[in-house]
Amino acid sequence: MSSDTLLSVTGLKVHFPIKRGVVFDKTIGHVYAVDGVDLEIRRGETYGLVGESGCGKSTLGRAILRLEEITDGSVVFDGEDLAPLRGEALRRRRQDLQMVFQDPLSSLDPRQSVQSLLVEGMKAHGLTADKEATRARLRELMAAVGLPEAALSKYPHEFSGGQRQRIGIARALSVNPSLIVADEPVSALDVSVQAQVINLLESLQESLGLTFLVIAHDLAVVRHISDRVGVMYLGGLVEEADADSLYATPLHPYTRALMSAVPIPDPVVEDTREQILLTGDLPSPAAPPSGCRFHTRCPWKQAERCDTERPELRVVEIDGVPASHRVACHYAEQIASGKLQPHQVEPELVVPLEAEVPVDLGP
Amino acid sequence: MSEPLLSVRDLKVTFTRQGAEPFHAVDGVSFDVRPGQTVGLVGESGCGKSVTSLAIMGLLPRRGNSVSGQVMFEGTDLLGLSDKQMRERRGRDLGMIFQDPLSSLNPVVSIGVQVAEVVQRHRQVSKSVAMEEARAMLDKVGIPDPRRRLREYPHQLSGGMRQRALIAMALACRPRLLIADEPTTALDVTIQAQILALLKDLVSESDTALVMITHDLGVVAGMCDDVNVLYGGRLVERNMRHDLFAAPAHPYTNGLLGSIPRLDSARGEPLDPIPGSVSDNLPWAESCAFAPRCPSAAPDCLASSPELVPHGGGGTDGEGALRCFHPVVPAEVAR
Repeated sequence: MSSDTLLSVTGLKVHFPIKRGVVFDKTIGHVYAVDGVDLEIRRGETYGLVGESGCGKSTLGRAILRLEEITDGSVVFDGEDLAPLRGEALRRRRQDLQMVFQDPLSSLDPRQSVQSLLVEGMKAHGLTADKEATRARLRELMAAVGLPEAALSKYPHEFSGGQRQRIGIARALSVNPSLIVADEPVSALDVSVQAQVINLLESLQESLGLTFLVIAHDLAVVRHISDRVGVMYLGGLVEEADADSLYATPLHPYTRALMSAVPIPDPVVEDTREQILLTGDLPSPAAPPSGCRFHTRCPWKQAERCDTERPELRVVEIDGVPASHRVACHYAEQIASGKLQPHQVEPELVVPLEAEVPVDLGP
Repeated sequence: MSEPLLSVRDLKVTFTRQGAEPFHAVDGVSFDVRPGQTVGLVGESGCGKSVTSLAIMGLLPRRGNSVSGQVMFEGTDLLGLSDKQMRERRGRDLGMIFQDPLSSLNPVVSIGVQVAEVVQRHRQVSKSVAMEEARAMLDKVGIPDPRRRLREYPHQLSGGMRQRALIAMALACRPRLLIADEPTTALDVTIQAQILALLKDLVSESDTALVMITHDLGVVAGMCDDVNVLYGGRLVERNMRHDLFAAPAHPYTNGLLGSIPRLDSARGEPLDPIPGSVSDNLPWAESCAFAPRCPSAAPDCLASSPELVPHGGGGTDGEGALRCFHPVVPAEVAR
């Protein structure tokens, strides 16, 4: 691990037990939300995590902050493994890792004024000893996120969606963190406001030297703000690369399908480009397919290896693809060269998770 | 050019509440839809696009609002029909797809019964024939193993499959007009692509007219023939999609295009957002509602209300339309 690596996640697994039973909670299975993820985030960069709902990207983000119990693996932050931390040590460590949530209204206490929302975190980390300095800090925070000082005495319901998200960002900034995990920071906002918040995040990173982990389902947003991007599918990373390289030469069949599915606001492009339409739905994370998890929907699936051996992230030797571009596909080279051609896939029946798991009546 | 199937003229929906100013959610919207055509209504939250669709379908609550204008469907004004007459039309002539498939499906009735119900309601057929129709419909919208799905309940289907079931319900009686209100907003992009492709196929093979309501300009670019951009309850720009995207004339349309990060554009440049938020509106009656957020606003924008005037090439009436005193000049067009 080099010194400029801020966060290094190795073999991270988060499994949620599925319980059943009226008197005894018997564990009848697990949801493999995150199942073996390795990733490194360098100081000062923005790492974007994309994937569809249910792929485990939010769970991964929350597990890094230890908001979910880690089943296995390590999360080394600035040289210290967070996984074994407990109680007070963990609480203190969280000063360096903050989170911005998706829905700004439900993540802000409606009965606290903005000032009290911001001060709460600072107080918990002992940053409010000097009253004058605290006041100056609050003013600085409001200026940083582009809100007037008068906003400090207002309550969350008095703001618009974009302004609420700015408050959420100010709260994350209030304790001087070095890593901010932003889980879908703009997906609840209107497009015109989305752009304002994206620009704000970028300028904050520049002025404060922050490191971001941005989790989003919108590929265009992720590409716009990220230096490196990881693509997740069913609990694992399937491809990781610099943003430009990933979008110029997507190697994994899933990434290709995902990118071709994003509508582009340009009718000329929309009329001419080719789409890879995936059939079927995401398989249930409680019973992930064997081998490559994408093989049930992959138009390039081969008879060998795909359904038996789970591919690891690896560097491929293809012209124009840098060594930082890694992909988890057995046949990435052949697909990129056009030696393998896509074929039709019959959709498989997928039962959503909530239908499989009966409501737990509990004792 | 063929006669319009649906022609909305000066549609106004005003919500009234005791002790509060009346709120003009839709304020004089007019557009035409021809058979086989896809028309888009685009705008951000609060622009009146969903209320427009509910007014066309006659689904607004009876109290607390007033609807005026004309909604001509094949020569009949839908706004003048009684509830009973409207019920005959809904499902048979007019179909609707809603945004959230889970809350639009009845959770305690099986999918098959819900689809067959539409067929039975409008055609004098036996239950078994209706069930068979329902199976054929589910098959048509790409639901695998439809016979088994007929007996299943909404919670047993995935989000994409639920939306397909909803489309099957809307199309079960082959309506000539289909209104889709944000049909893919709740879905993942790969599923969205499946549903959009399905809608495109169904529309082109059955000559159904489609009104597509969305906030996503990317979806519009790929689907719609004509695009109507709404802001604060009024139409601000209308044009054929190629003209609209190549030369947006209203500063709001241009601003929307400038604020979307695109997959195929250069990276690293900051986006060009529209300042403020949709709540910073002025009343349309005496000014341009968009003026407080508009980069090219001038004193006359605050003093008088711009009219919708013909502009540019295409559009439903064979002409585009624009509501702006200071249209975007080509040099200012985003990207």
